[in-house]
Amino acid sequence: MGETITFWVLAVVSVSAALGLVLSRRAVYCALMLGVVMLSLAVLYAVQDAPFLAAVQIVVYTGAVMMLFLFVLMLVGVDSSDSLVETIKGQRFWAIVAGAGFAVLLGLAVGNAVLSPPAGLLGATQTAGGNVPALAQLIFTRHVFAFEVASALLITAALAAMVLTHRERLTEKPTQRALARARFLTGGSVVLPGPGVYARHNANDMPALLPDGSVSELSVNRVIARHDVEDERFPDDPKLAEAIKQAVEEESK
Amino acid sequence: MNGIQPPTIEYGQLMPLLLVFGAAIVGVLIEAFAPRYLRKAIHVPLTMLTLLGAFGLVIVQVLRDGVPTAAVAMGAIAVDGPSLFIWGVILVLSVVSVLLINDDDNFVASAAAVPGSPDEEEAIARGGAHTEVYPLALFAIGGMMLFAASNDLLIMFVGLEVMSLPLYLLCGLARRRRLLSQESSVKYFLLGAFSSAFFLYGMAMIYGYAGTVDLGGINDALGRVGGQDTLLYLGTALLGVGLFFKIGAAPFQAWKPDVYQGAPTPITALMASGTLVAAFGAVLRVFWVALGNLDWDWRPVMWGIAILTMIVGAILAITQTDIKRMLAYSSIAHAGFLLTGVIATGEATQNANSLSALLFYLLAYGITTVGAFAVVTMVRDAGGEAGHLSRWAGLGKRSPALAGIFAFFLLAFAGIPLTSGFFGKYAVFAAAVAGGALPLVVVGVVSSAIAAFFYVRVIVLMFFSEPAADGPTIAVPSAGTAAVVALAAAATVVLGVYPQPVFDLADAAASSLFVR
Amino acid sequence: MNLMLAPVPAGPSLADFGKDPLWISIIKAVFIFVFLLLSVMFGVWMERKLISRMQNRYGPNRAGKFGLLQSVADAVKMGLKEDLLPRTVDKVLYTVAPIILVVPAFMAFSIIPFGPMVSMFGVETPLQLTDLPVAVLFVLAMASIGVYGIVLMGWSSRSPYAVLGGLRSSAQVVSYEIAMGLSFVGVFLFAGTLSTSEIVAAQADGGTWEIAGLSIPLPSWYVVLLIPSFLIYAITMLGETNRVPFDLPEGEGELVGGYQTEYSSSLKFALIQMGEYVNVFTVSAVSITLFFGGWRAPWPISMWDGANVGWWPMLWFFIKLVLVFSCFIWVRASLPRIRYDQLMAFGWKVLIPLNLAWIMLVATVRAFRVEDANRGVIFTLAAIVLIGCFGIWFRFDTVLQRRRENRAAEVEAEFEQLRDEPEAGGFPVPPLDLPHYHGADRKEVPSGSN
Repeated sequence: MGETITFWVLAVVSVSAALGLVLSRRAVYCALMLGVVMLSLAVLYAVQDAPFLAAVQIVVYTGAVMMLFLFVLMLVGVDSSDSLVETIKGQRFWAIVAGAGFAVLLGLAVGNAVLSPPAGLLGATQTAGGNVPALAQLIFTRHVFAFEVASALLITAALAAMVLTHRERLTEKPTQRALARARFLTGGSVVLPGPGVYARHNANDMPALLPDGSVSELSVNRVIARHDVEDERFPDDPKLAEAIKQAVEEESK
Repeated sequence: MNGIQPPTIEYGQLMPLLLVFGAAIVGVLIEAFAPRYLRKAIHVPLTMLTLLGAFGLVIVQVLRDGVPTAAVAMGAIAVDGPSLFIWGVILVLSVVSVLLINDDDNFVASAAAVPGSPDEEEAIARGGAHTEVYPLALFAIGGMMLFAASNDLLIMFVGLEVMSLPLYLLCGLARRRRLLSQESSVKYFLLGAFSSAFFLYGMAMIYGYAGTVDLGGINDALGRVGGQDTLLYLGTALLGVGLFFKIGAAPFQAWKPDVYQGAPTPITALMASGTLVAAFGAVLRVFWVALGNLDWDWRPVMWGIAILTMIVGAILAITQTDIKRMLAYSSIAHAGFLLTGVIATGEATQNANSLSALLFYLLAYGITTVGAFAVVTMVRDAGGEAGHLSRWAGLGKRSPALAGIFAFFLLAFAGIPLTSGFFGKYAVFAAAVAGGALPLVVVGVVSSAIAAFFYVRVIVLMFFSEPAADGPTIAVPSAGTAAVVALAAAATVVLGVYPQPVFDLADAAASSLFVR
Repeated sequence: MNLMLAPVPAGPSLADFGKDPLWISIIKAVFIFVFLLLSVMFGVWMERKLISRMQNRYGPNRAGKFGLLQSVADAVKMGLKEDLLPRTVDKVLYTVAPIILVVPAFMAFSIIPFGPMVSMFGVETPLQLTDLPVAVLFVLAMASIGVYGIVLMGWSSRSPYAVLGGLRSSAQVVSYEIAMGLSFVGVFLFAGTLSTSEIVAAQADGGTWEIAGLSIPLPSWYVVLLIPSFLIYAITMLGETNRVPFDLPEGEGELVGGYQTEYSSSLKFALIQMGEYVNVFTVSAVSITLFFGGWRAPWPISMWDGANVGWWPMLWFFIKLVLVFSCFIWVRASLPRIRYDQLMAFGWKVLIPLNLAWIMLVATVRAFRVEDANRGVIFTLAAIVLIGCFGIWFRFDTVLQRRRENRAAEVEAEFEQLRDEPEAGGFPVPPLDLPHYHGADRKEVPSGSN
């Protein structure tokens, strides 16, 4: 009874989610719909006395595989529509005809199939002492070779992912030191002056320059300037000399 | 703690398989830990020794134990006569293909670099190529062996995937014309995934019918379970789709030309020979062992598929202008010829005859194919291999020896006497006639004649037209390629002149049929 | 001589479940729900209070005695605030996402054992809503559904901060869930079951060690037997719940509020907060169940016969829960947040490989204890693995050593060169001929004469 209700509820949910998966325009919604289908499947497994399968379905498919799908979709932002240009004329029409025909054929065949009365899992699991031990028994005895060989599949998949996506670093990654050295070699400076400052020196006796290149009087060192005026020794730069004179004059006012 | 009896694994009989897989895993470890400059130097001897060792183990097993009569590894794998023969064939073909793979730069320097990007140029400038191809090829070869020797549908599916997955990847690793190569890889992957899904779906249906995935168990269920034929037919049809896709039978042949053209030629050689052999092994197991008693039901469909495959392969091959696509269509036509042998079932002796003919055909065709693709790798121009047929014009004048050998391979494909192809075709058609499939043989002969037309056309093109001014150069073959061509040519001649020992071997392998 | 006094009463096992009448199940479910709601309120208060004391301040102390009503006030405020819905968000997912986060968090608690069999209104029933043969996997499954809530919150908010926060968080949770699942394997191997009630039962008695006439009771909690598993679990527990030091998804310095940026303080935000706290309680309860003996009383108390029967165990369970939760707060007060790439590298390159190696070790030890095991084969395989590991380590060590020496030599050569010609390598040296415009013979000027 409970199983029947669950089935019919989930049948509606999962079929509409599957339709949504096919018909939805946004890739993220498609992925979510697929997640819903997988969850419905998991619940159906659970209802049919296969709790291990249900848990694994959620952990592996919904939790890991679908999450990676979603992750990639969100990261890459695949929301653009596909190109709808037919490279072979009439391809889409015939594809739809063939697909629909195949679906009808399959549906009719499965619908008309006579099934023997369901045996259920209970008998199989009870002899082994539970769902998990029963699965363990099958996996580690009858199907142990398939189980082990599946590792070849996983290794291949991992290797394939590495080959297709991993670009080996051909040149060594530049260290901070190398970067700094490169900057100096191309004529950069140690520390760039702060924003809004036009300075070429940070020596105390060199006055700052204004944006137009003239000397800022405010920054002329009074002490040195006074000595310069007293000794009549002015720098070669006429602007600077002018500024020094002015600074001393202003001070004496 | 409820006790689980530990499974029994017959390591001795499984040794060839385990050796190949073990070497593949060692290869992956080498990729992980060996310095780059050493990798190829380790991989090549490892791969060759493994394949030769596995071949040796197969021979030792036949000599010492004879043909085993029970399934091993808890009934998962059937190491029987046909399995051992097919393993031997696959291993020989793999050794030859690996020689080609080893040859020189067929593989991309950095698969992750976008074609035509500065990254790619940098990778090429650094030299070298992906050495992962060796472990991947070993995995594929192991998968082929597993696929052909599986005794239940579950392990057959795993074998199918283990065989296919590395091939999907390898197809996309061509060094030149990378976009074409990547396209072929994606096409193969998508269609292959679909076909695997069909196979799986069919498996589920059959399981629903028989309550077991064991091939022998399904056969027993045919007599026991009544009234659920819809499920059985549906399952058979879906399983068939998955298997026919792998052998490239029409109407599931569309991937073959594209993939063969785009893949690196050594990988094409491996696929065209090894995969076909393995897939026929699996077809025979499913349709003869599991569904043997259902032959009245699947035979009409198989007739249709065989006829369609032969005709499609032969006729479409005529229109091709690319040498690799032409060989692909030729491979489709040959799949059709082989299917006539699958149909020719009957009494046990008749079955043994058909099986022996098929085994011989697979060996003869496989080795010739590898030879033909080896020649294709040698005809080059600036952009890599010269695929277009017009570039082959006048090749006979520039390089008579090579063109002669290639012409000889083509004649073997066409089934001209004194080549291995003749005896292969003769044996299969004779078995089919004995099995009451005369109309099929007539279609086969007609399509052979059509096929002969385009083979001869290539020969005429090579020998009787003027070479183009900027025609392709013939690469000086490396020792590996030269050995492959020489070996294939020798095998084609020997099997065409004195086929009796191999026939005897195939007879012996086929005499006890498949274990159940 | 027996140091362990009270005989161990058998706890409930899988067979005791599935027999409750419906109303008992409803009572238990409602109890768990209410318990978690109250725990969240208490947890928020406790976290604020405890961390304040650790930082030498008072924390909330206005609402109610010790500020106990602070959470209530916050909850009321969140309920009464206007529910802002930013204009560009994906409305459906934006609304649904917090619910997806919360519901699995609550559901995961249904398999946590609170105590042994008790008599509830005349019905003998275990103090646990339900148990499954795969109960621990169920927790993982629920955790992996909860991630969807986080991801969708980020995505549906349509703001870069939220998307980045959601991505970070999902990547983090998925990565740490693997290490978490692996850290359970040791427990499964020892307990021989995946059901929580039976795992608790398996920790009841560690057996005794007979030495020189003395029978010394062995520790029964897996936290002692499987310390590496527990340590890894404790770390992944922080990563899985996005807590400090792994609270990258909401690193406010870089991502504002992470995936919850666009959720203003309304009921949706309350749901998010609740989901996070319930997740913390869930992983704490799982750690108690798997490693700290579940509801069983710790050693000195367990000498009392009545400690592990009736309703008392619930108290032990709550005390353990509060203690584990306090550790979360302690960690938060002590550790800085780590960088994101360090987090991922730590998860994938340290936790998972270590875990795998540890599982190998545990499995090998278990294989030894199987009666008719072929010890020779195990020894050979173990030796091969060890030699292989050593070989790999040796190779990497020599390579690294060589690399380090090369680098040191390089640096040495460089300094050598710099000593001779300071400007080599483009390094700036202070120019010795700066354009000073007065000579060295200037007069000394005393300071202050300006």
